[in-house]
Amino acid sequence: MIEFHEFLVAILRSGTPLIYAALAGVIVHRSGVWHLGLEGIMIIGACVTIIGIVLTNSFIIAILSAIIICIIVSILQWFVIEKLKANQIIVGLGITGIGIGGTAFAVESIFGSLAAISAPFGIPRIGDTFGPYSGLSVLVFIMPFAVFSLWVLLLRSRFGLRLAAAGEHPFAARSVGANPSIMRLIAFCVGGLFCALAGAELAAGSLQIFAQNMVAGRGFMGFAAVIFGGGHPVGSAFAAMFFSIVSVVGIRMQIHFGNFVSHDLLLCLPYIATVLGIWITARAKGRTNSASQISELRVQ
Amino acid sequence: MNSFKTSKIDRRLFITTATGATLFAGVGGLNQLLASTEQELVALVHTQAAGDSGPIDSMIAQLNQLSDEKEFEKKAIYAQDAATFETVFRTLGDAGTSIIVSTFPVISESVKAVAPEYPNTKWIQLFGDPVDPPIQNLVTVSYDYYLGCYLSGVFAAKVSKTDKIGFIGGISIPPINADFNALKAGVHSVNPDAEVKAAFAGSFQDPAKGYEIATQMYLDGIDYIQTDAGGTDGGIIQAANETPGRMVSALSPAQYPLGPASVISIVNLDFGQSLYNEVSSALNPGWSGGAHVSTGIGTGVIEFERSPLFMEQGPTEIVQASEQAWSDIMTAREDIIDGTINVPFITSI
Repeated sequence: MIEFHEFLVAILRSGTPLIYAALAGVIVHRSGVWHLGLEGIMIIGACVTIIGIVLTNSFIIAILSAIIICIIVSILQWFVIEKLKANQIIVGLGITGIGIGGTAFAVESIFGSLAAISAPFGIPRIGDTFGPYSGLSVLVFIMPFAVFSLWVLLLRSRFGLRLAAAGEHPFAARSVGANPSIMRLIAFCVGGLFCALAGAELAAGSLQIFAQNMVAGRGFMGFAAVIFGGGHPVGSAFAAMFFSIVSVVGIRMQIHFGNFVSHDLLLCLPYIATVLGIWITARAKGRTNSASQISELRVQ
Repeated sequence: MNSFKTSKIDRRLFITTATGATLFAGVGGLNQLLASTEQELVALVHTQAAGDSGPIDSMIAQLNQLSDEKEFEKKAIYAQDAATFETVFRTLGDAGTSIIVSTFPVISESVKAVAPEYPNTKWIQLFGDPVDPPIQNLVTVSYDYYLGCYLSGVFAAKVSKTDKIGFIGGISIPPINADFNALKAGVHSVNPDAEVKAAFAGSFQDPAKGYEIATQMYLDGIDYIQTDAGGTDGGIIQAANETPGRMVSALSPAQYPLGPASVISIVNLDFGQSLYNEVSSALNPGWSGGAHVSTGIGTGVIEFERSPLFMEQGPTEIVQASEQAWSDIMTAREDIIDGTINVPFITSI
């Protein structure tokens, strides 16, 4: 049987991309928009990171490229929702389609093949001083600080107050001089940064591979974590970590009890947990509080 | 007012006429292009994009090679949308195509619908189930991949130091379940006490999940994993690369360089060779349809092979063990071909 540390390493490894995706969803959610484009922007981050490493042989250039491109796509999403007044859910799903199709197109254009791309190295590891955790990437190490920083930004700063006002009561925000449109633009840009980190960690954290559609629903699970965590950065991070725990336990159960319990059922565990989590959250709150936000965004 | 109305009608007429003319020219041009050839025309209709460094590229390469050898005209057509499958087949049939090869299972219903309408065309459906009642100008081909997995199991039992073997599949579907059961049967034919465990990633394109499952299997003491997971394999090989002594048996020779010291073998399914065999047979005037071909080992299509890179760069102890085991593998292979060994085909876990 594997030890506790190894179990924790597995949870951190598979949970970190989810947490970064959830953070992206949280900040955009606070601005009054449901971020259903997490999946698409994450896969762009993953793709650009690996292609960047392969082409430039530099992790720094690769991650910066991923961040810039993810922010550009996020701005595009903001523009279509905010300026063209398109339905935010449809736009989010459209961004997902663009991400999946666009990355396949980019890979085929650059490498002449749709086969998976392997990079010579990935994100730097945190090093031997951390013992059993030495194999984790620096983005795992940075993740708790990112959660804390976002918590400070959203709940302990003037900017966070204005962003929440822009999301919940745009007219009230405007009356105190905050432009809700600009606040949402900033939220989308920060979300783009987090999506890039999520994609980079997924493709280059433990792996050094990009394969088509490799995000495989993690962006949507990140979005679910936002709802499960009530739109709170710490709550959403814990929700994402909970999904990761369920996923890792599901793998353990497949290995040890696969002969007795259906593999399909065990594979469904993270998704069952997601649905249950959202249901529990909704019950605890008595309602979901986002429907009104959509209508407020529309009537501006 | 009248001139405005006339102008609007003219514009509509212009657009309609131009669109119609373009479509007519396009379809006519395709028909003419297909019909203009004096040589026999063999067409491959594939439902996955080329450029995969895998089955589609392999099939196109073998079609080109056979075309050069037998001097026939060839076309490879990517049919992406299920709504167009029958149109593509009818266009090829109307153009007098001699042989139409199609793949994969998603297109088989369209083949069954259109093939009877073109009795002078020979149809080959690669990766298809038997058709009942048979269609006289159609041959379907299925692959007994599980036989290769059985040999992998025999090999695993002989090279594993821990007597713990793993299997990672993409999705738990009947043919992949059969592969696992055959692997298990192969392991237990050598060592009945060995543990064989399976897990599924839930996707054929999730290397991160593959990495996680493989890492946990290796930490549990498993030292040999047979993959059956397509694009998920990359993560499994990555996990194997992290510690010397971890072994993976993969799917394609293209995976050898991903783990020179970890990918010890492959259960190879060569779709290109299968196409080559079936089209060669169909070019023969004595070809008869209405049949199903079940392709197993010994045909050049499915083989269990050792990695030449691993033999050079793998841990010495394991390389020696694999060399000692290889004659037994070849014996088991012959026994399967001549029917001495009957590998069970069990599709549930």
